Amino acid sequence: MASTDISGDLEPQRGYLLRVARLQLSDEALAEDVVQETLLAALSGSGFSGKSSLRTWLTGILKHKIVDAIRKKQREPTVASAFGDIDSEMDIEDFDAMFNERGGWDPKPAEWGNPEDALNQRQFLDIMDLCLEKLPPNTARVFMMREVMELETDEICKELTINANNLWVILYRARMALRQCLEQNWFARNGPAT
Amino acid sequence: MFKRALGHIIRCKDASRLVSRREDAPLSEWQQLVLRLHLSVCAACSRFEKQVEFLRSAMQRYRQ
Repeated sequence: MASTDISGDLEPQRGYLLRVARLQLSDEALAEDVVQETLLAALSGSGFSGKSSLRTWLTGILKHKIVDAIRKKQREPTVASAFGDIDSEMDIEDFDAMFNERGGWDPKPAEWGNPEDALNQRQFLDIMDLCLEKLPPNTARVFMMREVMELETDEICKELTINANNLWVILYRARMALRQCLEQNWFARNGPAT
Repeated sequence: MFKRALGHIIRCKDASRLVSRREDAPLSEWQQLVLRLHLSVCAACSRFEKQVEFLRSAMQRYRQ
């Protein structure tokens, strides 16, 4: 299906692409721009082979558009501090609240059973969205760069001019918060069936 | 008993950070060793380890 007409399939993906772009860029107008560019590129390009899902392919295009947008943004002195408030999101000590004074879990992570089963449920993906949206904006952005855009850590550090240690702290925060959010909003309610 | 003591060279707080960091960068041999010892005696951190791995596959699914 090398030259399939995909124009009709693109529009339904706009919402997803916008969500990803918004999380990455925290700039509504810019997010709309990169999504528009992505859809245009998808229409004019012929790179879609049908081997991967349409969404995976579009995410790949979006990734490049976002990286370009971040680079451009960093060259503009007026918004050089776009990532400036990362310090306030980086205080790892916040998470000491999840541990007791001897460094043990409090509360302990619950048993999730077979969490993979949840991946086939539309409602679970909605909860994922909710949990991602609850992350502090820059934390969400870094986490999406790592896990959705699949950028290597040194690429992210270079883009955002932060050091590896800062990056690990941010990703740790993101994982801790997401884990807790999913546990509270899904696994504590839906499973495991014991 | 001895194993338990070895497992607690690091605390859950430290182990959880190493579990997360391992997703992004290779750990030193020492870090790998103390983490493995800790995970072998700590059910809570073993759960956390599985959950972090699940997060990665969930994000892959999210992308599709």
